[in-house]
Amino acid sequence: MPLVGNIRDFGLSDFLYLVDRGYKTGALHLNHEHETAVLYFDKGKLIYGSRTQGERVGELLMRLGKITSQQVEQATQAWKPNGEETTLAQVLVREAILSQEDLQRTLQAHVEEQVYTLFAWAEGEFRFEHGQKPETDAPIMPMPVPVEHLIMEGVRRIDEWGRIKDRIPSTDMIPRFVDQPGERAKGVKLSPEEWRIFARINGKDSLATIARTTSLSEFDVCRVVYGFLTAGLVEVVRKPKAQTPRDGGPSRLKRSLVSRIINRVRSM
Amino acid sequence: MQTVKMVISGAVNSGKTEFIRTISEIEVVSTERRATDDTRMVKKETTVAMDFGRISIGKDLVLHLFGTPGQKRFDFMWEILSEGMLGLIILVDSTRPETFRETNRIVDFFTSYRDTPYVIAANKQDRPNAWSPDELRLALRQKPDVKVIPCVATDRETVKNVLLELLYIILERSSEG
Repeated sequence: MPLVGNIRDFGLSDFLYLVDRGYKTGALHLNHEHETAVLYFDKGKLIYGSRTQGERVGELLMRLGKITSQQVEQATQAWKPNGEETTLAQVLVREAILSQEDLQRTLQAHVEEQVYTLFAWAEGEFRFEHGQKPETDAPIMPMPVPVEHLIMEGVRRIDEWGRIKDRIPSTDMIPRFVDQPGERAKGVKLSPEEWRIFARINGKDSLATIARTTSLSEFDVCRVVYGFLTAGLVEVVRKPKAQTPRDGGPSRLKRSLVSRIINRVRSM
Repeated sequence: MQTVKMVISGAVNSGKTEFIRTISEIEVVSTERRATDDTRMVKKETTVAMDFGRISIGKDLVLHLFGTPGQKRFDFMWEILSEGMLGLIILVDSTRPETFRETNRIVDFFTSYRDTPYVIAANKQDRPNAWSPDELRLALRQKPDVKVIPCVATDRETVKNVLLELLYIILERSSEG
């Protein structure tokens, strides 16, 4: 069953997070006014994305001046779709028309720019089709791209308090690192400004404090931390409140009483 | 007579009233009124005060179920309702991603200051466009140890299962005796 919704309510960065953490394979279709886009994922990583329907790797690389029409013909003739190489892009590498690095760099830059523009879509319907794969002659990247840095870059382009406040309602909140950001953090490239903030996250200082110590505006700090948060590197928590009797933490019952309630519910 | 309290919360139209109605042994005391704000777009009538249900455990013990009002303007009641609660069930409409942010806000409200045992009930799992519990866990950014349980609020067995899952967590944390 496809996942459907609107990016107004469940943003693109939220969806990328879900795809990443859920190791999803499939296609995310987006519609915004009269425009469409589709992103393909393999085990949580982006393999291809486009705002142009039916885009083919040969035509794209020709347009970008990376190969000639003769080379496209050569690769097409050498391509056995049912053979070892499943995509035309793989044949381009095998035929030494392009190096894998060059192909990756070219396609990744193209796909990423397409994806970044989608972050500007404030609303639009989405539909995620599980298991759907791109055409074999689509510009599929040889190496799938982790989504964390796509999220970070996409979020850099967000400049609306509204979206940020959904996740960070107050500058009194405290950012702290998630338990094991390790591998995920490696895919993320930070700007010097982001590093200044990243280095001051200690699980104690509030966003307001970080803004003061870095001499950055609270908005800038929140925007950067929103990026970390969306990419799953940090979480933000409320400042611990001193417990008062009125706060009344959860009641603790004796085990025997809880067992009685369980037995009663079971018997209903 | 000892009473213990569980709180059932969730966004507007997540199924709180139905959930309590399905399991309560008394007619649910619900102060339903015609909705007067934007919730009217979602639901003709919505809960403007609270739902209250009861399960008697024996002559000396009763479990009260309190449903929170869904609308934001009744947030102040959440604090009052949460005092002394045994545990919390957060209902989420699995078919409406537009309510996930609000659901997050509710989870955050109830759990940020207190170490409250809670489970998330992924309601309306019988609908064709329902997000699965695993997808909801990711969408709501819940940790892997938080239980997200499939549920149909009108189905007694699934409602019982949600209650039991929460009670097992409470049992683990309960004191000896």
